Amino acid sequence: MRRSYLLSRLTDLVVVLFGVSVITFLMIRLVPGDAVAIMLGANAEVTPERMDELRARIGLDQPIVVQYLDWIGGVLTGDLGQSLWTRRPAIEEIAGHIWPTIQLATLSLVIGAALAVPLGVLMARLRGRGWEVGLQIGSVAGLTVPSFWLGIMMILALTTLAPGVQMLGYVPFSQDPLGNLARLILPAIALALPILANLARLVRSAMLDALQQDYIRTARAKGVSERSILYKHALRNALIPFVTSVGIMTGYLLSGAIVVEQVFAIPGLGRLLLGAIAERNYPLLQATILLVTVVFVAVNFVVDLVYAWIDPRVKT
Amino acid sequence: MKRLISTAALVAAMSVGASAAGAQVLELAVADSPAGLDPHIVTAFTSFQVVNGTVYEALTEVGPDLRIRPSLAESWEVSDDGTTYTFTLREGVSFHDGSAMTAEDVVASIERVKAEAIGSPLASRVAAVASARAVDERTVEVTLSEPSAPFLTQLASIAVVPSEFEGDAESLQQQPVGTGPFAFEEWQPNNYILLGANEDYWRDGVPKLDGVRFNIVPESATRQVGIASGQYQMLPNIDAATALQLQGRPGVALQDTLELSYTLLGMNTSKPPFDDPLVRQAVNYALDREAIVQAALFGSGVAAGPLSPALEAWARDVSEFPCYQHSPEKARELLAEAGVETPVKVTMLVLPRQDIRDIAQVAQAQLNAAGFEVELNIPELGTFVQDWRNSNFDIFASANAGSVDPDDFFYRAFRSGGSTNVFKYSDPRVDELLETGRTELDEAARKAAYDELQGILACEGPVAHVAYGQLYTATREGLTGFEIIANRSLSTLAETSTAQ
Amino acid sequence: MATAAPATARRRPPTVLLVAGGFLAATVLVALAAPLVAPYDPLAQSVMARLRGPGAAHLLGTDQFGRDLLSRILYGLRASLAISFGAVGLALLVGGTLGLISAYYRGWTERIVMRVMDVLFAFPVMLLAIGIIAVLGPGATTTAAAIAIVYTPIFARLLRGPALVVATSDYVLSARSIGASDARIIALHILPNLASVVLVQMSLLMSTAILVEASLSFLGLGTQPPTPSLGMMLSEGRNFLLLSPWSAVFSGLAILFVAFVLNFFGDVLRDQLDPRLR
Repeated sequence: MRRSYLLSRLTDLVVVLFGVSVITFLMIRLVPGDAVAIMLGANAEVTPERMDELRARIGLDQPIVVQYLDWIGGVLTGDLGQSLWTRRPAIEEIAGHIWPTIQLATLSLVIGAALAVPLGVLMARLRGRGWEVGLQIGSVAGLTVPSFWLGIMMILALTTLAPGVQMLGYVPFSQDPLGNLARLILPAIALALPILANLARLVRSAMLDALQQDYIRTARAKGVSERSILYKHALRNALIPFVTSVGIMTGYLLSGAIVVEQVFAIPGLGRLLLGAIAERNYPLLQATILLVTVVFVAVNFVVDLVYAWIDPRVKT
Repeated sequence: MKRLISTAALVAAMSVGASAAGAQVLELAVADSPAGLDPHIVTAFTSFQVVNGTVYEALTEVGPDLRIRPSLAESWEVSDDGTTYTFTLREGVSFHDGSAMTAEDVVASIERVKAEAIGSPLASRVAAVASARAVDERTVEVTLSEPSAPFLTQLASIAVVPSEFEGDAESLQQQPVGTGPFAFEEWQPNNYILLGANEDYWRDGVPKLDGVRFNIVPESATRQVGIASGQYQMLPNIDAATALQLQGRPGVALQDTLELSYTLLGMNTSKPPFDDPLVRQAVNYALDREAIVQAALFGSGVAAGPLSPALEAWARDVSEFPCYQHSPEKARELLAEAGVETPVKVTMLVLPRQDIRDIAQVAQAQLNAAGFEVELNIPELGTFVQDWRNSNFDIFASANAGSVDPDDFFYRAFRSGGSTNVFKYSDPRVDELLETGRTELDEAARKAAYDELQGILACEGPVAHVAYGQLYTATREGLTGFEIIANRSLSTLAETSTAQ
Repeated sequence: MATAAPATARRRPPTVLLVAGGFLAATVLVALAAPLVAPYDPLAQSVMARLRGPGAAHLLGTDQFGRDLLSRILYGLRASLAISFGAVGLALLVGGTLGLISAYYRGWTERIVMRVMDVLFAFPVMLLAIGIIAVLGPGATTTAAAIAIVYTPIFARLLRGPALVVATSDYVLSARSIGASDARIIALHILPNLASVVLVQMSLLMSTAILVEASLSFLGLGTQPPTPSLGMMLSEGRNFLLLSPWSAVFSGLAILFVAFVLNFFGDVLRDQLDPRLR
């Protein structure tokens, strides 16, 4: 990997991050609705003067450019602002919600990846037109099943088949490792299905490619353990498309988690985000969108670098 | 270290479940996170049900029978002219931080609610208070600028907090400190709020539970499955649709009461078409309240007059209001008489809550059958509140909180220039009756004023009252001592225990 | 152990494409014909017949207002397809134009346009869509607009690459040399070469747009009642899951079905265009 490549990618990164911060900020400020009105509730009796006073107290009376500069200045020095209502630093609120989401996303990815290898190999072995079409139908269905619907159906099935089982909500892993996993397994499966479908397809086509390579045929002819070579080669083949799709899958997981967390009552970033929208918690909403997007951008950046490293042809 | 141990104990209790002797933390599931727990700043119902009567108490309280009874004040005297109240405080009450609750704290709490810097939405409830002073440790004297019939009721909503928070608008939002049977322990945002038993509570023998955990579970279906499986032991203050699904589930019991709060269609009287009383009457005739109750509330509720039938002493029966006869023909006649062009095109602003959405959809169909053409606009909550507050609507569908005193139902909403009079309604006779109702101390005269007022408001007022729903609380069977209260307070959690 | 596959076995027979296309066409036709084929008015309420399971009078049952689920699903199919088609079409129009302009003019135009696209592309899909809807307010139109904005950079990028190749190809250069206008060159020479790629991408994105619409409606941010969209039906139905799961089950299946049909068609078509991509 050349230094100039790294440098140009870094420049791009900075530009994108700046753009993301501007869009995040503007998006939130254009939101209709009044934070103060929300705080007081629909039935609150309060004079306009009191509302102005309250508004001034939380800085909403400043011109928008001043508000942006204040905010971005803080962000660059590590201060993401305060949650309006809880008065705690936004970064703390995010830290308090980030683990369930990371755990959920990782668990989904692990489930998807772990099952994808045997499934993909199996798919590669099933030959014939009927099988081909069937597999395609199956994998496309896996890609398009709405994860939140699947989640609801799982909950419905759970309550019908095993009414006494308690698998909702969230407990931290450190408190109760088994309870933690028990509660995350259903949402993780719901979220993992499209990932599984996607990865299994990658493994299958890498496997089919491998089967056609000359040296596999040669190896087979020589009587070398066919299976080990085949697997090694096929899995290495699958690695590049896997790496490139990690970025896409991260985006999917972050998006999917927002809805799935809602269904399973998991206190992750999705819940933080929706809650912040509902209560017009501008600083918290900004901080969350910014942080999640930065993570997403960073993942994609790393993916690009790894890809360039694996495949030296990429230079531009 | 102490915190660590108690957490560990809780975890143990949780995983072993109800079979553990002793440690019992009641698991509740609620839909929304509160926006904060300062009782003087956040008055929304999501906060109210967590802290009212559990963490915080006031001088008076509303009992399950909706009557006012003493709480932190053990007794009071009222001067003959009705303007001076002398409260004697209960002895041996202390805050969760260990300090004793004194007359100073009561005075500071009232001052705090009145203070500009706090910006409390409750300020109007103590607007009549001219001064409050601590006579001695256990005596508070409150002077009113004029007699106020609803004063003792209003005091029930003024939580007593330690005097050190008088000028502090932030600390209590996160760390509530009160005198109630449960003390705040932990808030994991979007996960749960945990209250622990107050060992030094002034009432003997309560609380019976070791703690109460409000699990925040946004999905209705998830909450239902949770109580069906026993993971949650209580779903407080749920609507009829949810209750219906839990009815008859093994292990689940339901309690119900008639709501104080009501669903309504509010009309903007400052612009056509609803500036015309005839059009407003037409809306009343067009509505088939029974059908709405059947369709949207699953039959659990009653057609609403201006006051909840739960207030037996005050409410007039809806059969006394002629416009409560469902008659699309009459509605069309009235529209013709008003000389408006039909169909009357209006947009209905709808509170984004499931029961209100449902009511709006049924009302839309009914109004459209009686000469209107209604379009629904269901924004998210923030936009709704803003449009509502700025009177930016033709007609809206929403729910209004009720209270145990008629003054609370009416004064803010219907007086000319009243703070929640978003209808821009103004009627001199109504204003007069509202003043009488507020300052008249003679029960019979008050009743007469409110009777007349209900007559005026029912048919020509800016609000078409729709229904008082049945309010439910679902619990696991075997839970004893809990009693549902129509104002949605969970104060009876103090008496609740999980029987073994 | 299977022997090495003969290369021919991997070429998809066109019948699959025909079947996939047929399914898609049939789905669209049924959706368009919803008013003709739906047995009931999707908004007609009947309190007495609410929350029924599947039966003779109502093939798929009824919802909490006694509205016929089958009719609502047919209308919902139409609404969901309209939203996703509108969103993807708009994204194609805007994003495609921006991509073509970038490829054709290069220089600063390209740099600025593509940087803006990079920024939009940097957000996770749902996060950006939710943010945009928070600004525009919920509703069918704004949902479509939000999804369109989210997908705009995809088309800009998709079209810029091939357009670059085409724009510098001999026949475009020669067209330019004989004095053809820019618009004419783009319309006559560049676009036709990209049609198949665009068609594949459109059907794949419409499939995900259906899912995004459903997610947004599920969160209460999408289509508003009483108009049935599939996502909104699922969102309403899930409140009655324990009593009568039919509404949630069938509307979810309908979402899965239409997303599947679109994605399958795109997938098969892509195989057909470039079998190596499978």
